Amino acid sequence: MIFSELYSAYYNTVAAILSRIIDGERSEKELQKIVAERAFGESLLTIMPSLKSEKWQLLHGDMTTSLEHKPTMPLTTLQKRWLKAISLDPRIKLFGVDFPDLGDTEPLFTPADYYVYDKYSDGDPFEDEEYVRQFRIILEAIRNGSQIKFEMVNRNGKTLYIRCRPKRLEYSEKDDKFRLITAGWHSVSTINLSKMHNCAHYTGPKDLDHAERDKAQDTLTVRVCDERNALERFMLHFAHFEKQAEKLDKNTYLVKIKYAHEDESEMVIRILSFGPMVEVIGSESIKKLVIEKLKKQLNCGLK
Amino acid sequence: MSAYSELIKNFEKIRAYMRDFYVYGFKSRDDYQTKSARSYDDERRRLESWLGDHMSFVRTPEGKNVFISIDSRTIRHNPFYHAWKAKSFTDGDVTLHFILFDILHDPSVRRTISEILAEIDGKYLSGFTTPMMFDESTLRKKLKEYREAGLIVAEKEGRKMYYRRTENTDISALNDVLHYFSEAAPCGVIGSYILDKEEEADTDAFTFKHHYITGAIDSGVLASLFTAMREKRVVTLSNMSRHKDLPTKNRIVPLRVFISVQNGRQHLLAYLPEYNHFQAYRVDYLSNVKLEEPTPRFDELRAELDRMQSKMWGVSVKRNKWGVEQLEHVEFTVQVADNEEYIVRRLYREKRIGTVEKLDEHTYRFSADVYDSSEMIPWIRTFICRIVQMNFSNRTQENKFKEDLEEMYRIYGIGKEVES
Repeated sequence: MIFSELYSAYYNTVAAILSRIIDGERSEKELQKIVAERAFGESLLTIMPSLKSEKWQLLHGDMTTSLEHKPTMPLTTLQKRWLKAISLDPRIKLFGVDFPDLGDTEPLFTPADYYVYDKYSDGDPFEDEEYVRQFRIILEAIRNGSQIKFEMVNRNGKTLYIRCRPKRLEYSEKDDKFRLITAGWHSVSTINLSKMHNCAHYTGPKDLDHAERDKAQDTLTVRVCDERNALERFMLHFAHFEKQAEKLDKNTYLVKIKYAHEDESEMVIRILSFGPMVEVIGSESIKKLVIEKLKKQLNCGLK
Repeated sequence: MSAYSELIKNFEKIRAYMRDFYVYGFKSRDDYQTKSARSYDDERRRLESWLGDHMSFVRTPEGKNVFISIDSRTIRHNPFYHAWKAKSFTDGDVTLHFILFDILHDPSVRRTISEILAEIDGKYLSGFTTPMMFDESTLRKKLKEYREAGLIVAEKEGRKMYYRRTENTDISALNDVLHYFSEAAPCGVIGSYILDKEEEADTDAFTFKHHYITGAIDSGVLASLFTAMREKRVVTLSNMSRHKDLPTKNRIVPLRVFISVQNGRQHLLAYLPEYNHFQAYRVDYLSNVKLEEPTPRFDELRAELDRMQSKMWGVSVKRNKWGVEQLEHVEFTVQVADNEEYIVRRLYREKRIGTVEKLDEHTYRFSADVYDSSEMIPWIRTFICRIVQMNFSNRTQENKFKEDLEEMYRIYGIGKEVES
């Protein structure tokens, strides 16, 4: 059963508290910190009071416990089945890890049980040896906070030699690609992994900047006319953005969406896909791009 | 009237609220008329407790609107997983759980039920003012539950049954794997459960773009459907269609989950034995999945779905109960300027089951035969500014596309006199 107290924040928090008590911790303030870190907003009112009042009989009045071992629990069958399922995913090769022996555990699902029907077909070559080698160098550098160097060919065909400090790997499910987000490289902060060549650890003297560049943000404001189920489709389509919606009248809604300025072109075509049900109110720049596209279309002579 | 708790017994109750607050976010308390005001207040308070800063409020003339606003590109882990970790339990459950695993602290330690009971009373509870009482039947029930979960094994020796914990699984090398797949794989919340076992899990290296986190809410339904598929079983389930007020009960053979990474929806493609019919169901509308008998037809039906997929743009299937299919032809031509090779790349990488044909240096034609051409319309609109010709066998759809274009020209005040 996927919804079970065995996986609950409360059980995990109680386990962490009992571990600290076994280590000799007696300060209630320190134990409350565990609650604040591991459980929910109002758990402070429940977990320690329940332990102290003997409601949950695991802690004595002198803040000791009869438990002799730090609480641990084996993996459940459900957890093993999920692990077995991901061990079948082609992307697992990126990580180069030996999976634990899961015995005769049946996978929860296999690649044949689901189908991502609209991801782009030019995704990264996750099983390519050189791609995997570079991926692991980058991951190691992110973990260690160290620097890397690599080559890439820019749009003018010129080879660039780059040093940077990798910060994180951003995966897009739609593009099926990883992008490296870097610091310390002034002209670019994001690069597709598949465009990198000869990636290696950089051990030279130059200590590159650690700070990631902030991405410029814009706000898109649209009026959604709820015909042909457009509202639900629109809100789900843009669900992954920070956004705010307001009902204007019976079937009209105003929605504001924050997006990274560098994704403006993508936003324009995503808006166009909703046809006349979605009208751009602002910003002026995105509205201008939509109008330009429509003007060009008008001149295409489509009959 | 029971006191408020931030924990819940039934996940289904909170599922609709989370979806509404996250996906829509403009509904006020009065819009939830089908539920009691107290229920609304309790569920809102729970979500605030679980999701903290991700919850926002805005005051409107209709009242206070609650919404969940998350830029999923900026978070490392899906905040909806918190809801899955809020299952309620009894005082006895939590006490017995920790004592039991302390007694059975290593796979080499094994005990009979009476030995466990004696230890619980004598060693663990005797020091309390009013010790809890666990009888044999309660302990037996808990051990059965844990055996089913795979945490405990029972071994018979002579006439005695011994219980011990199952072997530990070394997951120490899987930190990066768990951080990535707990977001990128179906039912990722289970990966998050495993990550919670690590006392100080490393800060992870991954973030996600175009990341639809709403699907997390449906993980329970999805896990049951996957289990049914693995065991090749029929299921019964409830389906809340948007066209009906009450959920309908369906008896189906689940065949495959279709996941969209562009519109945030997940569908189940299933076979309805009573109607000899294939149908797509929105996973977020499904509930109460109950596994029934195995079906010998599973492999045959899935092979049929494999064949049908070459005619599916999205999730629509048009095949009547006699197996007769209706296909629609879709064709459109785009013009591409000298510096617009990216448009050609787009056509090739996004064409799915269609084909792309180069007509001349600047003109490309896409064509496909699909069950439902209306599913393609949103995608075709993304080529607005370069569509020079289109030919749909479904004239109604083609005309609708063109009428929509006219409507867009009207909305933005674009007239026929425009030159460039």
